[in-house]
This record gives sequence, C-alpha cells and structure tokens, in this order.
Amino acid sequence: MDIVTFKDFSWRYAGYRGWTLSNINLSIKKGEFIGIIGKIGSGRTTFCSSMLGLIPHFYPGLMEGEIIVDGVNVEKTSISELSTRVGLAFQSPANQLTGAGTTIEEELAFGLQNLGIPYKEMHKKVRDMLKLIGLEHFGKRSPFELSGGQQQKVAIASVLIMNPKILVLDEPTSQLDPLGTEQVFDMVKKLSKKGITIIMSTNNINYLSKFADRIVLFDNKIVKVDTPDKILTDVELLREHALTHSDITEVSIRLKKMGLYNKELLVDFDDLKKVIEGLIK
Amino acid sequence: MSIIQVKNVSFEYFKGVKVLNNINFTLNKGEVVAIIGQNGSGKTTLVKHFNGLLRPTKGEVLINDEDAVKKTVAQLSHTCGYVFQNPDDQIFNSVVTAEVAFGPSNMGIKSHELKVRVNEALRTVGLYEERDKHPLDLDLNQKKLVAIASIVAMRPELIILDEPTTGQDHAGLLRVEALINELRKNYTVIIISHDMNLVARVASRVVMMCNGEIIFDGSPKEAFTKNALMKKTYLKPPIITELAQSLKGFKRDVLTVDEFMDELKTKLKK
Repeated sequence: MDIVTFKDFSWRYAGYRGWTLSNINLSIKKGEFIGIIGKIGSGRTTFCSSMLGLIPHFYPGLMEGEIIVDGVNVEKTSISELSTRVGLAFQSPANQLTGAGTTIEEELAFGLQNLGIPYKEMHKKVRDMLKLIGLEHFGKRSPFELSGGQQQKVAIASVLIMNPKILVLDEPTSQLDPLGTEQVFDMVKKLSKKGITIIMSTNNINYLSKFADRIVLFDNKIVKVDTPDKILTDVELLREHALTHSDITEVSIRLKKMGLYNKELLVDFDDLKKVIEGLIK
Repeated sequence: MSIIQVKNVSFEYFKGVKVLNNINFTLNKGEVVAIIGQNGSGKTTLVKHFNGLLRPTKGEVLINDEDAVKKTVAQLSHTCGYVFQNPDDQIFNSVVTAEVAFGPSNMGIKSHELKVRVNEALRTVGLYEERDKHPLDLDLNQKKLVAIASIVAMRPELIILDEPTTGQDHAGLLRVEALINELRKNYTVIIISHDMNLVARVASRVVMMCNGEIIFDGSPKEAFTKNALMKKTYLKPPIITELAQSLKGFKRDVLTVDEFMDELKTKLKK
C-alpha cells in the first residue's frame, strides 16, 4: 500500500527563476525506508518539507501537481493536521526547538501537551525518550545549554515522541559525532522495523547501504530510484551529480582492476571483508 | 615556537559544572591540529578561550607568551581567527566583499590595503568570481568559504575552523580539504571535526577530548588505533581503518585506500 504519492509535483520558490523541484513522480510504500541523496541545492530539503505541507502552506511559491500523504491531499490539508501523520526532523536543531520550554523535558513534552495527553503518560514518554537519546541526566537543563549535536538529538526526539506514521529526517546527523550518528541510525532502523515509514535525507552512504530499501537521487528532479547496491556503486552517476562513492566501493573497484574480484561492485563493509578474507586465506 | 599555551585550565558555565577540567595544551606554529571528541566534550569551549570569547575559571591561557586575560577580544582577534560552525551565525553583510572586509576594516585597515587583503582572501578560498554577490545567494558550500575568507582577510596567526565540513556535500568537502592544505602554508590551523576522514587526511596532530579533559594527544595514526579511547568519546576511525583493523594480520593504522591496498598486496605476496 502506498502511504506517500507524488504526482507530477513541481515547486518554484517565490522570487526564484528556476524550479527547485520539477516533475517529481514517486510512490512510497507503507513501512519502506527511503534514502534521499543529492548535492547541496538539489532540492532535498524542499522535498522533505513538502510532506508536512510546509510547502506549499508556509513558504510562498508556485506548486504544480499533487502530493498525497496517508490518504490526504497535502495542498488541501493544514500543517497541523498533517503533523499528526508526518514527523519532520529539520537539519538544523535551531529551527526545530521551540524555545517554549525552559528545560529539555518541557521541550519534549511541548507537542504532547498540545494534544492534551494526560500528565502521567506524558511524563513516562518524556523519560523514555530521554533514555533513548542518552540524555536522561539532562532533563532539567535548557536545550540551549547543550552542544550542537546534543540539540540535534533533542530535536529528533521531539519529533519521535509524537509517534508519527511517517518520519522524515533531513540530514539528521549533520552535527553528530560518529557514535551519535550510529545511535540515530540505529534508532531509525528500530522505528523502521516497527513499521514506521522512513524518508531520510543524508549523504552518509555507508549507513544508507545497510538500512535503506530504496535510494532516490535528486538533482532538482529525480535522477534515479533504485536499490542501495545499484545506486551507491554507480560511480559515474554519483560523480555526475557531485557525489562520491564509499571507500568500500573504491577497494572493490581496485580489486577488480587487479583481477582479484569479478562480481558486482560492493558497498557493504561485511561483504567486502568476506571477499578480502577469501583472498588472503 | 608556541602560539598558545593552556595551563591547568578549568571552566564552568555554571558553578559546579566543569565543562573543562584541568586542561594542559601547547599549540606550536605551523601545526594543523584536529580537536576531536563527542558532542558536549568541551571542544568548542576550549577554543573559545583562545580568542577571549571565554575566560578560564581556573588556570591561564598564554597567547604568544602573554596572558590572554589581559587582552580584549578585539586584540586577540589579531592572533586568533575563529570560523563559526554555522556560516549563518557569522555572515550579515549584503555583498561578499563587504562581508570579507568587515573584520580587517574594524582592525583599522583602510582603502588600498583593505582591498588587497579582501581580494587575496577571496582568491585563497576560490570565491573571487562571486565577490559582488549577496552572501545569502550562495550555496552552503560557498557560504562556508565566505566565512573562512572573512577570517583570512584579518591575517591572524591561527585560524580555527569549527566543523568545517558540516552540511557540505562531496564537492564542498574536497574544497574545504584543499583549502586547509592551502592555509597550512601560511597559518597555524585548528579544526574541530567529527569527520574522521578529513582528520585522517589533513591533521598533523590529534587532540582527543572527553568530558572536558584531554585524553589523547598525538598523531592521527596513533589516535585511530586507540579504539577504547575513541569509543569512550563516541568516535570511530575512518571506515577504511576499521576495515583494516577487522582483518587478521593487517596494520591497525591504515588511513587511506592507498595504504590499505599496499597492505593487502604485501599480504598477497606472502
């Protein structure tokens, strides 16, 4: 069953000449994990913002085509209505944190309070979420006393706590340390296993190769949609769009050149490890 | 010769909460030092002591052998330029050249000399052709370069780049890396970064921080073999290093694909 459908969707920001996105056609199935890649300015953030209705409701501009999210037409549905179906974690935590609460606990409870969730239930959800992001001892601190990466975790948690059916993440790990990044990906993977539909924009190819069902390559339009192993090892395609392949793929390319390996190019760490172990036995 | 000496420095934003705990650190001229460590480990807090944005709660910071406490932020900016993590926190002028001129003109640099410095800084970062644009019309890769140029134009001795590759795509990443290699010819450079590939490629020295303390200070090669320390402060070596470490008999301090292939070839010969 399709949970998100883009039909001939195009978007141009007011005051800009070119289309940021043109002629987008894409169907996303319920429970799918979609990875979004593309260079800066390729329209990834615009795409992510469209599912929550920030486009067309919040940003002025010209829209063509239609977007259906969980059965409703985005153009005809308010952002507050859409926010009960879609959670969007922004790239910059400063855009996400409301500042309405003076503590991290209050920040996390903000969305739940607006839904009128009973205090006890809310309290438990907030505690659980703090634990999940590893900030259980920081509940009483102000979000603005945290480091950039910690803020990013709180921002993601403030979206997760609303229990959305569709979770859209726009470069959610851009400011995180490597293990923090891994934690966020693990967290997202767990949510994906629970059946939540995930749409994640990131150029962290090593993780996408492990977790995503399909990858969409953007360059102001959809250039290609395919499985991670197909798209992430297409060195020429990535280079054409100002992206690069993983070092894992690079090693497999060199093994091929040396005549030591003759199958598909690799992007997965464990697959490459096995091949090399076979060679040095 | 040292530019910065940090002696027994502790710092608290709030009484009783130590963000830096007894830090000792010497920065020598010409080094490219990467400060790495988990989010909240005190990296940014430490470097903000170098340009006077923060003052130590305990201990002292010497800049070119003089006590930083006795100098204003404006005075310290002659020695130490800090490029913010997010260029939007720094950029506020409506033309690229004006943005880059702001720092040096505040230092009293005028007319011809100012123009020379601005043009030189823009050429250094590769943005000379974009000089008449509005900074906000540039993409994120270029905005970062404007932020760096505006510091370069002040000609400090030390340039601190806080997370220079955050939010950059591959093209931006390559440009930042090339730029650091350009800067190292004339400046001492500190990068704060979570990007271990960048650290592996450009740093001459790595300082690892955890909970406000320096837990390692040495070469990148050595740093990436300290798995227990790395893990303690939420870091992971580059994926190629991890791959080598996961294979029996491989060197543990492989930093690049080239080094990895060399290692593999020697194993295959045996």
